[in-house]
Amino acid sequence: MKTAKIGNYVIAFLIILSLNFLLPRMMPGDPITAICGEEVLVEMTPELRTELMHRFALDEPLWKQFFVYLTSIVHGDFGYSYYYNAPVLEVILEALPWTLLLLGSSLILSTLLSIIMGIESGWRRGRNSDKSLLTATMVINGFPNFFIGIILLLLFGVYLGFLPLQGAKTPYSGLSGLNLLLDIARHLVLPLTALTLAQIPSSYLLMRNTMITTLKEPFVLTAKAKGLSDASVRYKHAGRNAILPIVTTTGVRVGIIVTGTLFIEMIFSYPGVGLLIYNSLFMRDYPILQGAFFIVTVFVIVANFIVDSLYTKIDPRIGIDGIEHAH
Amino acid sequence: MHINYWKELKKSTFGKIGLAMLILVVIIASSSPLLARYDPGEPSHSALKPPSIEHWLGTNDVGQDIWSRLVYGARNSLLVALGVGLFTTLLGTVAGASAALVGGLYERIMMRMVDALIAIPAFIVIILVAAYVLPNVWTLIFLISILTWQGGARIVRAQTLSLKERMHVYAARAFGANKLYITTRHIIPELGPILFAVFIHSATRGVFMEAGLAFLGIADISTVSWGLMMHYALKFYYLEVWKWWLLPTGLALSVTIMAFVFIGHALETAMDPRLREMEREDWQC
Repeated sequence: MKTAKIGNYVIAFLIILSLNFLLPRMMPGDPITAICGEEVLVEMTPELRTELMHRFALDEPLWKQFFVYLTSIVHGDFGYSYYYNAPVLEVILEALPWTLLLLGSSLILSTLLSIIMGIESGWRRGRNSDKSLLTATMVINGFPNFFIGIILLLLFGVYLGFLPLQGAKTPYSGLSGLNLLLDIARHLVLPLTALTLAQIPSSYLLMRNTMITTLKEPFVLTAKAKGLSDASVRYKHAGRNAILPIVTTTGVRVGIIVTGTLFIEMIFSYPGVGLLIYNSLFMRDYPILQGAFFIVTVFVIVANFIVDSLYTKIDPRIGIDGIEHAH
Repeated sequence: MHINYWKELKKSTFGKIGLAMLILVVIIASSSPLLARYDPGEPSHSALKPPSIEHWLGTNDVGQDIWSRLVYGARNSLLVALGVGLFTTLLGTVAGASAALVGGLYERIMMRMVDALIAIPAFIVIILVAAYVLPNVWTLIFLISILTWQGGARIVRAQTLSLKERMHVYAARAFGANKLYITTRHIIPELGPILFAVFIHSATRGVFMEAGLAFLGIADISTVSWGLMMHYALKFYYLEVWKWWLLPTGLALSVTIMAFVFIGHALETAMDPRLREMEREDWQC
């Protein structure tokens, strides 16, 4: 991986860092409320005020404040939420596993499904099964992800009552072991379905296009001429070669799924980072918002970075220069 | 080879349906004072009423007429689509084309910025900004555009680089045309189709992002926005009101987004020679 590429991620990281630092400090009004959230006013005493002023170095020049800010980030100190009465990092870490579960399973599921759908659709190009699959995904593509979530919520809330609509597990159920896992899985079904449905169309279209182009290449003809079975040509030869764009766009897709998770968690009250962000938006709980913002964006940047460094290994045709995204 | 994109668009099934849906939304938006029967922002004493002759889609929790809000909401979505589409395309074109034409250090810095911005999830950034300053429609258009121009810039740069090397541009240069002349007379006019595709793409994203932010409650309460309507309607989803409040609003939003998605897909197919030839085979048999 070239240093230039690493440079991109460093720049992205710096942009995030300065946004997070500058925004609350540039706002008109009291910087303490902008940094600590409005809940801090409830407990505000002159002593606390001087302590906080000192802590964030608010009476010092901006560069010193930035230094103080950087030091605390390095120490893993993202501030204190007066609403939850707990350190920000603690609150976020409690929500993070649920988001990772939802996001991770949706990423895997949507990738696998769109690859299979794209391969089959591209193989059957122009036939009725391809046309109906293409039309169906294009229609779903027009539905914003939160409306897909709402439709599922209404469908199961009003007509089909057999799946839980809210939360990540049954509260105070005292379940353990396998029953707990089943309970968690049952709660995951609706949010996961909504998120995955919203995710499939763009990857499917990409996979289908690449598959169609790949099928025209001479090596596919060779494979057919050798008398290989259809399935072998479809998956081992054409499919495997057509998979690259899906892999290289994984980083971008993680960014999109993160946004989707925010909506889906809000609709299904799924207790992850997205719901946390949504709630703190209304509580004016700025420390949580900033901490979550920082962790989410850094997560997306790191995901992009990992994908970038991995795909050269999957396809040796990509040189060290990387490839131009052909859009 | 010259391709008439308008013709290609009308030839494609998706293109036709998309155009028809967009025209429908534009008609509704432009004639909303005629279609609406009440002031969309005016509350009344009859709250949460089911559909009736007076209120075709009933009333919401503060007694506003849902049908009137639905009709006026089209204006908001189209305004955002137009605003984000134009502004993003402008930013992307200026950044991408200038990078390709100027070259050197400037191009490197510009493209480095583009690459860095692509890794940042714009939606989350806007949410953070909105937590401090609640954006109105115009600031929202500005925010979305300033955070999402990078994709367009990359496409425009690639296209400009290829246009720069075409034979007729070399010919113009040989006849003594300066950079300004080549840019305004050759490069910009020939970027047309690409710019239109970038515009449609940005408009789609604009409509989705505005509605999404409003759905999270990030919008001026006085704006008549489909996303904001869904935000309030979701709170009553367990009542029967979703049938005439939540569902029609979501469908209106989806039809608008779908219109742009379909047109975008048709354009993309028309512009990619390999796909163009295929799609025609696809839909003829």
